[in-house]
Amino acid sequence: MREFLEKAGNIDRRIIYLIIFLAVATTILVKARFKSSPLPEVQRSYKIINDLPSGSVVMFSIDYDASSMPELDPMLRAMLRHCFKKNLKVIMLGHWPLGLPLGQLALDDIAREYHKKYGTDYVFLGYRPGLQAVMLNLGKEIRSVFATDYKGTPLDSLPLMRNVHNYNDIAILVGLEAGSVGDAWVQFANARFNQKIILGSTAVITPDLYPYLQAGQIVGLIGGLRGASDYETLVEHPAMASLGMSSQTVVHVLIILLILLGNIGYFATRRKK
Amino acid sequence: MSISLNPWVWIAAFLTLSMMSFLYKDNIFYKIGEHIYVGSSAAFMLIYLWYFDVKPKLIDGFINNTGFSRWILIIPAFLSLLMLMRFVRPVAWISRWAIAFTVGMGAGLGITGLLQGFLVPQIKATILPLYVSGHSTLMTIYLSLNNILLILGTLSAIVYFYFSKEHTGPVKKISQIGITFIMVAFGASFGYTVMARISLLIGRVYFLLHNWLGLV
Amino acid sequence: MKREVPLFITFITGILIIIALFIPHKPFGQLQTTFNDWLIIVGGFTMILGLDSLLLHNWEKIKRKREGWLSAAFLIASFFITLFWGFGEGIFFHRNPFDASATFLRYFYTYIFVPLQSTMFSLLAFFIASAAYRAFRAKDPNSTLLLSAAALVMLGRVPGGQAVAPWIFAFVFLLLAYYFFNESKETSGTQQTVYIILAIITLILIYPVFYILLHYLDGIADWIMNIPQMAAKRGIWIGISLGGIAMSLRIIFGIEKTYLR
Repeated sequence: MREFLEKAGNIDRRIIYLIIFLAVATTILVKARFKSSPLPEVQRSYKIINDLPSGSVVMFSIDYDASSMPELDPMLRAMLRHCFKKNLKVIMLGHWPLGLPLGQLALDDIAREYHKKYGTDYVFLGYRPGLQAVMLNLGKEIRSVFATDYKGTPLDSLPLMRNVHNYNDIAILVGLEAGSVGDAWVQFANARFNQKIILGSTAVITPDLYPYLQAGQIVGLIGGLRGASDYETLVEHPAMASLGMSSQTVVHVLIILLILLGNIGYFATRRKK
Repeated sequence: MSISLNPWVWIAAFLTLSMMSFLYKDNIFYKIGEHIYVGSSAAFMLIYLWYFDVKPKLIDGFINNTGFSRWILIIPAFLSLLMLMRFVRPVAWISRWAIAFTVGMGAGLGITGLLQGFLVPQIKATILPLYVSGHSTLMTIYLSLNNILLILGTLSAIVYFYFSKEHTGPVKKISQIGITFIMVAFGASFGYTVMARISLLIGRVYFLLHNWLGLV
Repeated sequence: MKREVPLFITFITGILIIIALFIPHKPFGQLQTTFNDWLIIVGGFTMILGLDSLLLHNWEKIKRKREGWLSAAFLIASFFITLFWGFGEGIFFHRNPFDASATFLRYFYTYIFVPLQSTMFSLLAFFIASAAYRAFRAKDPNSTLLLSAAALVMLGRVPGGQAVAPWIFAFVFLLLAYYFFNESKETSGTQQTVYIILAIITLILIYPVFYILLHYLDGIADWIMNIPQMAAKRGIWIGISLGGIAMSLRIIFGIEKTYLR
């Protein structure tokens, strides 16, 4: 028995990789779905956007790239669906150059789905380097940072942008974060200009953003694939995130069982010594 | 089931599987994929620099602006040129002037952002009432205890990382409470990190099964 | 000159930004806005600072046919293909390479760049599972607390976790009771009595723990994230921000000069 337990604590890593891969693949193939109720902070974010009057401007900041795409892309799409369903206007920009096209592709896809018109219902500004400098100057005048949109069209010729000059004209800023840009948004846009911020983040940095939520510096927090799945549930459009959560459950249980197995093997070996 | 006939999807699937082959053993396919990624990322930055920085801010800015707001652009243009001198060995030292500008700005913005945007609001949010009245005795105890734990956790975690004084006596006891809170925080962070990493894998497996093989 | 001028530039820009926070009026507020504008322009060039060493290093590998020269060739080839493709969109088709109609975005970015980057990071899922299996040991109370918090959050934040968690924890408690009973056999006297009592308490606790987790796991995970976890993170980040402020002051006053190398 002891030898079996020792062996159980020493499984080859490639077998573990295979087990994890098979667990994910199987749950996706069988399209298993487990129900859950949305987290309070996600419900709060949903309510804030839902309560915005039609025509309000929501600014999205794409601060992630392909390495965080599976978590934040479904989140972005669900939120865009919500905004377009509520006839909110969308402005998109970003601080991660390698990920900005992902935001643009999602925006174009969802806008097409809701028959929204570029320039009137949504605008894509693009990217400018400088991070905090961009955030501060956006608070004075957007045109000082983005004189044109990403195609080179002057902002004043876009109907949506005619009455949008700075944060005072933006109802909510939604930051989709994979790094520390969310902190910069809070420290500059919220602290100096009282801009209301909802942060959607990868699960890695979500725990670090709870202090902002408790302090009221952000009004909503959507964390990881669970947050994306909750938002999809709230907008009644389950998609990739909802499908992925079942795999998440299975793998989490698997990892806990592996940790348990490792500990059993460890204590069995320790006893022997 | 309808396997994709799009050659680009097959290229993407091949690159995905090449990268995943590293799990078995380091091999040439993984190395090539990795190097393609690094090379194209570097080129990406150059493309972004032109289309989202130099062209709209410097070139279009110079053409479309007039008077002072046009000619002042010479200064950032000059600083950018100084930055590029880093590639010219004999005069590489002059790029320090431009770097000094970015570093000085970064330091100044860092201080102001941290002070105004983090320290003060977070300290303010930690000043909480120790007694909170709820709709029942149990709720009152629960809410009050939460606030006490919040204050205790924050202060003890700060004390744990205070190394200017030796951790003996009361400081040791408080820092031991701090490490307890920190262990809970790290455990929660680990849980969320696992969630994040698995999500990334789910994304790739979904691509293989849905976009490539058409099984889902 | 070589060090004094940059140190002076750093000092002036840093101090101006700090003053502009407290005196946002003319001229400091305007100067800050102008300096921010310049930073937006100049900051972009920092993205390409490492380019020369990257390309030269790999070119040397190819020239001298050192180990890994084939991969280096792919690096340089992909760099130039990406560059020509991206700029080609502008030169030959007069469009931004990130335009929806641009082949650069539709093909290169979507089917080459994104799969490479996302797969590279998705490998971490395997590594974290393997590392957790190999390294996570409940050796002492602190590591046990860490593992328990991790398990509660991992199961509390996934759908269906509330159904599975009670069974896992019940099994753990059973193992713990077995461990205490075994230890009691190896010891005698007071120690033996203590182990037996611990084993009995552990067995008694199985049902309450099972019940609580079955009904309240979501709430427990919420509480962990909002109270103890949040408090500790706040304490950690207050410490980090104090360190960040100290470092920034050192840079502004020229005590820290490593960036001048």
